[in-house]
Amino acid sequence: MNIFLIGMNHKTAPLEIRERLAFSCGDGVDPLKEIMRGPQIMEALYLSTCNRVEVLASTLEMNEAIESMKAFILAQGNLGRGEMEKCLYVHRGSDAVRHLFRVASSLDSMVMGEPQILGQIKDAYRQCVEGNASGVIMNKLLHHAFRAAKRVRTETAIAENAVSVSFAAVELAKKILGHLQGRSILLIGAGEMSELAARHLIQHGAERISVANRTYARAVRLAEEFHGIPVDFEHLEEKLQEVDIVISSTGAAGYIISKEMIQAALHRRKNRLLFLIDIAVPRDIDPAAGEVDNAYLYNIDDLQEVVDENIRGRLKEAEKAEQIIDEEVVKFTDWFNTLEVVPTIVSLRDKVEGIMKGELDKTLSGMQHLGEEERRNIEILASSIVNKILHDPITGLKEESQNGSAIPFVAVLRRLFKLDRE
Amino acid sequence: MEATLFKAALLGYLVATLGYMVSLMVKRVVFARATVWILLAAFVIHGVSLALRCFSRGLTPAIHPHETLSFFAWAMTGTYLAFQLKTKTRVLGAFVSPLAFLLMVVASSRLGVDVSVPDILKGTLVPVHVALSVIGEALLAIACGAGILYLAQDSQIRQRKMTPMSRYLPSLDDLDRVNHVSLLAGFTLLTLGLLVGSVWASTVWGRPWPWDPKLMWTLAAWFFGRQFIF
Repeated sequence: MNIFLIGMNHKTAPLEIRERLAFSCGDGVDPLKEIMRGPQIMEALYLSTCNRVEVLASTLEMNEAIESMKAFILAQGNLGRGEMEKCLYVHRGSDAVRHLFRVASSLDSMVMGEPQILGQIKDAYRQCVEGNASGVIMNKLLHHAFRAAKRVRTETAIAENAVSVSFAAVELAKKILGHLQGRSILLIGAGEMSELAARHLIQHGAERISVANRTYARAVRLAEEFHGIPVDFEHLEEKLQEVDIVISSTGAAGYIISKEMIQAALHRRKNRLLFLIDIAVPRDIDPAAGEVDNAYLYNIDDLQEVVDENIRGRLKEAEKAEQIIDEEVVKFTDWFNTLEVVPTIVSLRDKVEGIMKGELDKTLSGMQHLGEEERRNIEILASSIVNKILHDPITGLKEESQNGSAIPFVAVLRRLFKLDRE
Repeated sequence: MEATLFKAALLGYLVATLGYMVSLMVKRVVFARATVWILLAAFVIHGVSLALRCFSRGLTPAIHPHETLSFFAWAMTGTYLAFQLKTKTRVLGAFVSPLAFLLMVVASSRLGVDVSVPDILKGTLVPVHVALSVIGEALLAIACGAGILYLAQDSQIRQRKMTPMSRYLPSLDDLDRVNHVSLLAGFTLLTLGLLVGSVWASTVWGRPWPWDPKLMWTLAAWFFGRQFIF
């Protein structure tokens, strides 16, 4: 298979090297154009994300193309040869196909199952098509990759459960409160993680947000950012009665919310469910508050445990995904193998001669009055027409195959004459 | 015709029960989602069968205890399907469909036996009394199912882990709402049913509340319920 993939990702190369590559390609230079200028490159796809830089290409002469690609990357990244060799990986043939499918299915991502990578590959493919760098193989290969990714997504649970603390909070909130539309949040204290959790909850429909802080001025500032209302620390208890979700992350040394406060609040809110998230270390909410009926308290370790469990779940699902990838690689390889010249000529002949025989039988059966010799003449006529028509395409194909550039022609021929069963 | 439809509905409830069991075992809501349609079909067929029976001999939906069970199963399924429209509580079907199926099996033992309606049960208040009471009890059965699922989900969430079971079960809020609405509506209908029944009793027997054991229990259950709900 004359396909190869060369590149580096977050596992093989440190950020400084990856960004040097991505940056150098960023300013003014169209990397795809540069790649296509390389010798023996027929088609190419250039994929650059924050976690990987990869070139996928089909070629007429594998070794020469790979060497020139390496040299290109070397020059672009301004890297020493030894340094680069350590970071680069090269996959050939079906290994390259498998790598692409794994990347597209997010099996090779930093956070396995994350959905962005597929979109990034689609963008790269769009550039590839717009830059006239795609052909029969690349089109087929990318569509197979999209299909593999879709299968992995729908047939495994790899992308199902939250793998970050803030998303775990959203997931739990949904299990407790059902939908989050119109739910209200009380944010106590400030902190990156609590703000992120609040943002995610808002994205999922939560609306009214109140911000409480020891220093009122900070509460006002943060409330502005969230289009919420600042709350005085004195009025915390009243707020507990209204809201559905509490996220707490203050730097306080002791508990700022006691079991009694929660009990009283639940009583006043007629036992409407209350979800408490305590992200602070040391903790803000008395753990005993979690024992109150209709109050559900999760601290940072609980959330982290949920996340860890989900990650273990994804790893298990990844095994299923690898099987799907294997199947899809076989399917693509099967298609690729039909691109051989000789079998294509054989099936083209078979098809056309089959048509000729069928038509002859139909016509001759309606002309019983003809003698043996006349029949033979008609048959000779038909078959020489067929041979004359087939002669040019077949010799053309053979010539191309001697130049090593028959594959696109074979693919087009197979498609136009519908030689593939699928 | 009516008996054939009854059997078809019975089969529908069986298939729905199996569907929900599969869904419960693999903990995937997808199966429950498909099964709702089977349950809906069983409900419609069952409804036609009940309607035919009603029209064939006046309007009373249930005279015999066995018929009451069948009517109860139908009302319970209908209530569940109605909740289904508003909330994401598909898993509740795993409670409703086996119960409906079992009730139907018991009811089927007297299938086709033609019971003549005694004169005393021919008044216009009788169907109203039966319908109100049975639908009220069906709602209480739904409340019971939602309550069981609520307790299960609550204990899952309190373990501070997201288990597959917890992902599969509906959210606490949805279950709570179903429980709340069906308790209130069920108890109200039951109360109205009792009132209509006693009005009818005073017309035929001359007193609103004849003291037989069945009615004693009914009254006791009503007080018990009132104590807990309000």
